[in-house]
Amino acid sequence: MYFKKNFNKSFNILLLRTLIIFVFILVSFFIIIPLLPLFLKSFSDNKNNFIGLENFINYIQNPSLTQSFINSLKVAITTTFFSVLIGFIYAYALTRTRLPLKKFFNTFSLFSLYIPPLAVAIGLIYIFGKQGLITQGFFGTIPGFDINLYGFNGIIIGEIFYCFPQALIILVSALNLSDQRLYEAAESLKASPLRKFLTITLPNIKYGLMNSFFICFILSFTDFGVPKVVGGNFNVLATDIYKQVVGQQNFAMGATISIYLLVPSILAFLIDKNFQKNEASLISGKSIPFKPRKNLIVDSIMFIFCSLILILVIGVFSSIVLASLIKIWPYDISLSLQNFRFSNVAGNGYEPYFNTVFMSIYTAIFGTIFVFFTAYLVEKFKPLKKIRMLIYFFSTLPIAIPGLVLGLSYILFFNKPSFSVPFLDFKIFNPFSLLYGTMGILVLANIIHFFTVCFISATTTLKQIDKEFEEVSESLKVPFYKTFLRITIPLSLPTILEIGSYYFVNSMITVSAIIFLYPAKIPVSSVSIVNMDDAGDTASAAAMSTLIVLTSLFVRLIYEFTSRNVSKKSSVWINPLET
Amino acid sequence: MIKKEGSFKYLEIKNISKNFGETFVLKNIHLDVFKGEFLCLLGPSGCGKTTLLRIISGLERQTNGDIVQDGLLISNSPTEKRDFGIVFQSYALFPNLNAKQNIAYGLENKKINKKEIEKRTNNLLRLVGLEKYSDQFPSQLSGGQQQRVALARAMALSPGLLLLDEPLSALDAQVRSKLRNEIKLIQKKLNLTTIMVTHDQTEALSMADRVVVMERGHIAQIGTPFELYKNPITPFVADFIGKMNLLKGKYDKKNCVFYYLNNRFLISQNTEYSFLENCLLGIRPEDIEIIKFRKNIEKEENILRVKIKEITYLGTIFRLTVVLESKLEENIFVDVISNQVISNNLKIGDFIDIKLKKEKIKLFESNL
Repeated sequence: MYFKKNFNKSFNILLLRTLIIFVFILVSFFIIIPLLPLFLKSFSDNKNNFIGLENFINYIQNPSLTQSFINSLKVAITTTFFSVLIGFIYAYALTRTRLPLKKFFNTFSLFSLYIPPLAVAIGLIYIFGKQGLITQGFFGTIPGFDINLYGFNGIIIGEIFYCFPQALIILVSALNLSDQRLYEAAESLKASPLRKFLTITLPNIKYGLMNSFFICFILSFTDFGVPKVVGGNFNVLATDIYKQVVGQQNFAMGATISIYLLVPSILAFLIDKNFQKNEASLISGKSIPFKPRKNLIVDSIMFIFCSLILILVIGVFSSIVLASLIKIWPYDISLSLQNFRFSNVAGNGYEPYFNTVFMSIYTAIFGTIFVFFTAYLVEKFKPLKKIRMLIYFFSTLPIAIPGLVLGLSYILFFNKPSFSVPFLDFKIFNPFSLLYGTMGILVLANIIHFFTVCFISATTTLKQIDKEFEEVSESLKVPFYKTFLRITIPLSLPTILEIGSYYFVNSMITVSAIIFLYPAKIPVSSVSIVNMDDAGDTASAAAMSTLIVLTSLFVRLIYEFTSRNVSKKSSVWINPLET
Repeated sequence: MIKKEGSFKYLEIKNISKNFGETFVLKNIHLDVFKGEFLCLLGPSGCGKTTLLRIISGLERQTNGDIVQDGLLISNSPTEKRDFGIVFQSYALFPNLNAKQNIAYGLENKKINKKEIEKRTNNLLRLVGLEKYSDQFPSQLSGGQQQRVALARAMALSPGLLLLDEPLSALDAQVRSKLRNEIKLIQKKLNLTTIMVTHDQTEALSMADRVVVMERGHIAQIGTPFELYKNPITPFVADFIGKMNLLKGKYDKKNCVFYYLNNRFLISQNTEYSFLENCLLGIRPEDIEIIKFRKNIEKEENILRVKIKEITYLGTIFRLTVVLESKLEENIFVDVISNQVISNNLKIGDFIDIKLKKEKIKLFESNL
């Protein structure tokens, strides 16, 4: 009776479904599936015979190995406590007080994000090590002071350097979300400052606080760089894995320890995820941002506190640079560039450095495209809800996968030319094995290792873009990919640049994910820092660290410049009042 | 429901239901929209009016039922294959495109040459009176101007159906009433079948040819604005369109008398009142007279002696809130012309007699 419009399956929806399934397959193969051979390995001996829980029992019965587990926990808990505490005070100073020179403190607080943890550790050696500036009292000019750097103390200081800016970023954004009116209402009800803090400030940032506890815990529990350089005889899980795999070629035990490293991380991840689930924004769009009042005492205390932190950060960085420029510390302290030749130890010259730069560029480009597109598919569309939810879950998981574990699982997965199907005498070609031994696998490992932060930031931005844009486009018969290119990407450009620069900087400084993966013909600089330090050539290690930091800073400057131009251009349509 | 002369059904909504799991958002909706008609879906938030609009557009899928547009069954067609333009409450203008680019967005995707696009875009800009603003970005336009760009964009592909989702609710009162007239004019000029969702009864009454009052997922009543005001069929419609006093009492069908507490009211004979004796008496505030100003009260019927509790000034009229001495918590509203209140020096606490006009009284089934 009616003419039926027979367009039930439109091309666009079909394309969309295909893309979602394609991305699902990619994230499964890059994030989840590589973990399976790792689990299998932990239940096998080195000849691939299944031995059940034997590895785990061996591990528990080995007192020196169990000690590492306890050590890692100690490090993680101590670091988390101090990093969040320092991060909170610093963030509070930046957001809730009239701290003098706020802009300066804001910019430089994140400086240590650009210093690889390895380099921080090297910097610490030059300050607090046996021949360190402070240990030797500035070449004997004042009485020295030895903090016993090698061991627990060194690890903790290094990890705090590494973790505190991460806590700071989260807490600053949590504290920035405030409502002046709540404080005014409390004041009109005669609430004391302490009461205001406990009833308004703390409840508002509890999710941020919890999240920063989680991030700091995982980072310090799994970090490899700092304990490798200043750990001394204080063994932690991460260094144990390295020793088992690189030193003894014992992949089975490496896999077993990886599980011990992975389980607490995943546990912390699940606790945090469960906690964040209840998050509902307490601050509405109409809220009036908090305007701190002058308070001489608080402001001065904060100024002193923040200055101390900055002096330490800049001190460590300067000592790295200084160390790289000094001929033979502490015997011949004349300046020279000889440490930058990198000819004496690894003999690779500048090859590792350029490899790293290219690897970071590739990671930034491909990582940004992949992460943004994944977030876009998950966030903006309705079909295949369950699959999109799974993609979301997988995408948030990498933050809980320690770099070493990721690296180890990638070796085990990607070096297999084929999978054998259980119970059948049948093998499937593993197309991903083509990546093994190429730069591709390093790039991929980096993309996945830093995936979560980028994914969350892309998702947050996409959430802020009116979802009705897609609906309007549909009603105007414009296919979604055109709207993606013409509307979504231009509107997200600041975030896209931010993700790119994050990927670049982190790929420059990372060591844990790629130390097992890098092919012999493609040496990378962060690994050569480890090797140079191992060989006792700390000055060259410092020189390479300096190069890495300077490159990261340089890229960050380019980013700042570009994003300023972008926001100038887009300010016409974002906020005409500010132009 | 009326059928206009010479109109044909452009859109038929047949038995549409929508539920999310156990909860029903829409229940068995039947609705015909005639060619060139301006139809309003009116109701409080959560009544399902926006969901119905989204189902018509294909942005949401119904659980059951069919939609026929212009003789074609479109129940399962994807949005981009349906023939409509839509304006959202937020307008959803692309912030990085200027007014002209926004309007041309849909045209550019069609295989039309640039000159033609230019021409049509300019026509649309003229239609909504924004020729001067074609290069401005949405953030540089006022709310009303943004609204017009959204309207022009929705009409760019010359759709057969225009859907408006609370298009005026983000604007301030003055701009709103101006745009009401403009939208209505454009709609009539193009003879464009239009469905608008709103929760604002003034907006619905002033713009629509017909209004569909919705309540908790079903249609409470359909009619012209005047019909709905004159003959509401449920207490909900009565109180949603204008104001209605509702008194709970007993109806004596044989004698056409309604008992409220110890008062009896004569009711016009009406065979439609077929319900049980417990029911509601409804009367609008303007259909209640104050008797104090007249003589020969003894002869009058349907009188109540009440006490003035509040006097609210509403411009040309005063709204008195009055109560019975025996039932202080039940407010009855009476609208009186301002002069009457002033010349008679009515004050809070005064006792007055009010008369409920017999022919204006309605009875409703009580579902309480």
